Formats: sequence, structure tokens, C-alpha cells
Amino acid sequence: MRHSPLKGRFAAAGAVFRERHGAEVVARVAERAAEYRAVRDAVGLTDFSFLHKFRVPAEQGLDFLDTLLAGNVPKIRFGRVLHTFLADSDGLLSGDCYVANNDEEFVFLCESIAPDAELCGLLQAAGVTEAGAEDLTDSHALLSVDGFKAWDVAKELFGADVLGLPYLSLEVYPFEGASVRLIRAGKTSEFGYLMLAPASVAVALFDALRAAVAKRDGQLCGVDVHDDLRLEGRFFNIQAEGLRVRDPLVLGLQWMIDLDKEKFSGRDAIHQRRAEGLRRKIVGVAAEPGNDALVTGAWIFHANQPVGEVVADCHSLALNRRLALAVFPVELAYSGLSFRLGTADGPAVKTISMPPIMPKSLTVKLDEM
Amino acid sequence: MSDNTQSTIERRARVIATFKGELIRRLNLPYSAEDLHEDISLLGSGLGLDSLDALEIVLCIESCFKIKIPDQNVAILRSINTVVDYVLEQQAQRGGAA
Repeated sequence: MRHSPLKGRFAAAGAVFRERHGAEVVARVAERAAEYRAVRDAVGLTDFSFLHKFRVPAEQGLDFLDTLLAGNVPKIRFGRVLHTFLADSDGLLSGDCYVANNDEEFVFLCESIAPDAELCGLLQAAGVTEAGAEDLTDSHALLSVDGFKAWDVAKELFGADVLGLPYLSLEVYPFEGASVRLIRAGKTSEFGYLMLAPASVAVALFDALRAAVAKRDGQLCGVDVHDDLRLEGRFFNIQAEGLRVRDPLVLGLQWMIDLDKEKFSGRDAIHQRRAEGLRRKIVGVAAEPGNDALVTGAWIFHANQPVGEVVADCHSLALNRRLALAVFPVELAYSGLSFRLGTADGPAVKTISMPPIMPKSLTVKLDEM
Repeated sequence: MSDNTQSTIERRARVIATFKGELIRRLNLPYSAEDLHEDISLLGSGLGLDSLDALEIVLCIESCFKIKIPDQNVAILRSINTVVDYVLEQQAQRGGAA
């Protein structure tokens, strides 16, 4: 099992660990509600070192990445980041990916749900060795700073320059004699910054970030709370609905695909399913307050028939009710419809428009600060 | 399917079809209407449209549905579904007032 270079620091903070697809992850550090409130109202610091991380030389590696991933890698402008996915040969999801163009190199981050051996096979088939890609998974840490005040933490460490970074962009900053690759991203609806740092400075970076986060009433977080934050913000979560459904078309991820590309892993299977037409689709669902039965695996009924299956769920603290994603036949996949949960006469649930919350961060304009 | 459910679906489907069609045409998006999930984020992640595109979306909504989008109301423009909710709400108010 892979371990984070920051394991000692998180263990000392009382973190609870668990295994996720061959890597040890920090599940939680505090109560889930405290971690949630930290991100929504202040800032949270999370260890995402379990992601697969690569440095790919630009000239040698362009074809490799473009052959591997569904998005159009040559179109990524300098300093910008592409959010796309990695599929297997059946066109089913294996990883949720960021690719950043950093001039001489691409930085490739992959949150994989495939076993390491299977992921390795997909990378090899696309020519990872010939591309000269350097695997940074064990040699680098990846920290995520997310929250309404995340920009203030990033500014304290790297200067006011970070405020000018648009969403999905990358910049490199010096830190303790090393280079930290900073990506403005995040899947919480609040401000978010991923920081990729060599293991040699990872602990020092963590300590500096932790102090800056504490100054703003922030909190160390685990990955579990990110499931809630992603669902509330309707960010795709490969660990929840992605793992359960796996078909990018049913999940509504067509926007991550360059449909004109002639080659990428899983392309033929995806195009074949697209040509056959979409039969199922994912939709947001909300329960009435107090109804705790809206959980993954539950069935949703319409006219005495089970029609929808819940594939991701959380208790939304912002809405004070359970929130879910469910897969419905396309003819019923509309917001604003009433259904029954569990049985034909079960409690009422309603399909809703996503995202259902308005995050504080959308009220702040960083370029005007 | 009940008449009420059917009419809710038909009303919503009409607005979705009109909005997606105009969105694809005006912004020259390389997708079919079926490819655009209604919860897809319009700005930032998802379609990744910029502030100029946002202005085009506002003009698109105003001309297609003859309704006004309040200034600085980013909540409406978060996804196709949030736009459609706003359009249906405005149409219902207009119908109620008529």
C-alpha cells in the first residue's frame, strides 16, 4: 500500500486513515461537520498525495497524454489546466485527471479507481515509457487548500500574484529552495489550490500551510468530507458516482471529451454507446428534512415501479437534508419531479436542479482585491 | 405517468431544447444537445465559458424567452438547469399576472 510523505504529521493530528484503491488516505481528522464548516466558512487543508502524479516532458509526452486521455491535450494553453478523464478499453472510467501545461513539461494528476496494475497497463499501452514520463507519486506530496479563505492562505505563502490566477491554471513558486507547482482548481465550490511539492519540503510546506490555515480558523480535513462538498457543488466525484456508474455518458461527462479526437483510451466504446443514444442519465435528488433513507443503493419509485437508483449521497449541512445523485431513464431524468423512495408508497423525494447551494466564494472577486 | 408529471416534463423539455439549441449555435459549441447534461456548470469548470460567453448567455436567455436577467445574478447562470428554473419561474409569474 502506498503512503503519504505527510502521514506522520496527520497521524500526530489524530487523523483516521483507510485504504483507497491501493493507497492509504486520511479519511478524517475531526468531526465531519467541523471539517465541512471549515471549508465553507474558512479554509481546510487536505492531503491528496494518494493521487497518481507525473511529470511528462512536453515534446516527448504530448502524444502519450493525448492518446491516453479523452480531452484535447495539444489545445491546453501555457499555464492552463485541462480537466478530463482516463477510460479503459471498454470506455469505462478509470481516472479523473488534471493535465497542466507548464511549458517544458506537463503535470499530470490522476485520481484513479483502478488497481495500480491496471492503471500501469493503460499507461504502458499509451507509451508512458517512450514519453519519458517521470512518476512523482511517491516522491511528491499533493496538498489541497480549499475554502472561502483559501486564497488568503495561498497569498500568505506565495504572494499576491496568486490572486490573479484563473480557475484551472498553474504557476510555479519557490519554497525552501524547491519548486512548488500550484494549481488553482478545487471541487468544493469554494476557492481551491492544489500544491505539488517534492517530499524533501513537503513537511515544511504542510507546517507553513497548517499555521496559515489555523490563523484563519481553518481545519485539517480528510477526504471523506470532500464527498459531501463535491456533491453539494455538483462536481464530478470519481470515488462516488464515478465508481458506481463508470459510464462517462450516463454521468454527463461529455464536456470532458474531445468528440473529434481520433484516438484515446476507450474511444471506440464511448462513441458506439453515444451513437446508440443515451438511455439513462444522472439527476440530483433531495429528500425532505428528517428522511435519512436517501442513501446509495436505494431505489426510487414512480407509478409503482422502481425507476431510479441512488449512486451517490450525503447529508447536506447547507440544506439540512439528504442530497443524492440517482440514475434514471432519460424520459424521467428531469428536475422538479416527485417520486417515492424505497417502495411504491415510501417517503417522497424530488429531483432537483444542481448545484443546489450558493457558495460564499462566488460572492468574492479575487481580481478586484 | 400522471398528467401532472407529463406536463411538467413537457414544459421543462421545451425550455431546455430551446436554450441548448441557442447555446450551441451562439457559442459554437462542439456538442449536440444530447451531449450537454442539464447540470453541467456553465462557467468555470464544466463548459468553462468566460465572462464574454456569460454575456452572450444572458443575451441568449433574454432574446429567446423575453425575460430579463438581473445584473450580477451569478446564481441563475450556474448550470443549464438553474437557467431553466429561472425561465420557468418567470414564465409562471407572467402567466399568473396575465
